[in-house]
Amino acid sequence: MAAQFHLEIITPTKVYDEGEVDYLRAPGVDGAFGVMAGHTDSIMALTVGEIKVVKGSVETTYAATKGYAEITADGVQLLVESAEPGADIDLARAQAAYDRAKQNLAQKQDEMIDELRALRALERSMNRLKVGEKK
Amino acid sequence: MANLKDIRKRIGTIESIKQVTRAMKLVAAAKLRRAQANMEQARPYAGRINGILNHLLPDIDRTSLPLLSMRPAKQKAFVVLTSDRGLCGSFNTNILKQARTIIDAAGKDQAKLICIGRKGYEFFDKRGYNVVEHYADFWNELDFSNATQMARAITDRYLSGEFDDVRVIFNEFKNVAQQEIVEYHYLPLVLEEDEEAVTTDYLFEPSKDDVVQSLVPRHLNIQMWRFLLESNAAEQAARMTSMEAATENAGDLIDSLRLEYNKARQAAITTEILEVVSGAEALVE
Repeated sequence: MAAQFHLEIITPTKVYDEGEVDYLRAPGVDGAFGVMAGHTDSIMALTVGEIKVVKGSVETTYAATKGYAEITADGVQLLVESAEPGADIDLARAQAAYDRAKQNLAQKQDEMIDELRALRALERSMNRLKVGEKK
Repeated sequence: MANLKDIRKRIGTIESIKQVTRAMKLVAAAKLRRAQANMEQARPYAGRINGILNHLLPDIDRTSLPLLSMRPAKQKAFVVLTSDRGLCGSFNTNILKQARTIIDAAGKDQAKLICIGRKGYEFFDKRGYNVVEHYADFWNELDFSNATQMARAITDRYLSGEFDDVRVIFNEFKNVAQQEIVEYHYLPLVLEEDEEAVTTDYLFEPSKDDVVQSLVPRHLNIQMWRFLLESNAAEQAARMTSMEAATENAGDLIDSLRLEYNKARQAAITTEILEVVSGAEALVE
């Protein structure tokens, strides 16, 4: 088995300690990237998307929003504003949020800020649906 | 001396008040526990964000980022955190008194206020302060999205030039018996450049500037979240202590009323005996 590294997903409301993992895929601002043990020390900006963690033969996914990945020799810390394990996602709720965001967007009219907000909400709900459906 | 029936009624009233205050104390204690757990959870995230930011700031050209660059503080804004409800001792009174002093010193007419919590809004609105925004009715279901929403509203106003300087005044939770009122310089962002910077040489992706640019709003969100959590914990602690004191006072009051009641009863019995005895004596003669 290849070398492993320590992974923690830290949000303002909860810390998910994944322990030693083999592989991590995270949604970078410029596209998804993968991390394995021995990665260069880096700080990467993350966008809304799916975090995939591989530990042995077990794969876990999270629906995450914006944040950072801090990669050091000690391990990886993902600092994201929210992360929801794929298995916990309530698809009905995610669908409702998606529909609501769509509707808001359709009615946007002239308010610029609201459009931006609705777009962000849409993005988040789509992500949750995507991750949730896979479980 | 009050008559027996009145005293009995008063004892009954106070007894039921005591039950209410005791229940409130228990509820506050439970909420306090939850608030403290929330604070505990938020700490690692806040600490890391702060760490990265501190690490990066020395290398960043502050003037390139509006949220970081200092500009003449012409238009000052104050964010005051209070509770929605009363019965929490001097929690609101103290902060409102101090906030008022601070705001008056800055000029009542120029200062713009954002009130978080109903008590603060009622207080300042009634006294003719310029309250530009207020939030209420969220404390019970406090959620991180409350913090991001408030932080965004404040930053938007700051970026549009409506504010040049934002201070947050809130109650910091010291321990169960103690809150401390803190005035925090929220925007523009000032960071105490303490601690020898971490020496790790990071690779930044997409670029250092981009990272900082999106890091600052994250930092502001988590700061706002911290203020909400601190204030919430402090409020519950204040309510718990004051309700405990109220319960104790009610108990004392009941004790002294009982004493009075017994005395009154005793006196009534004595008078009655006296009457009977003197009546009997009158018959003998």
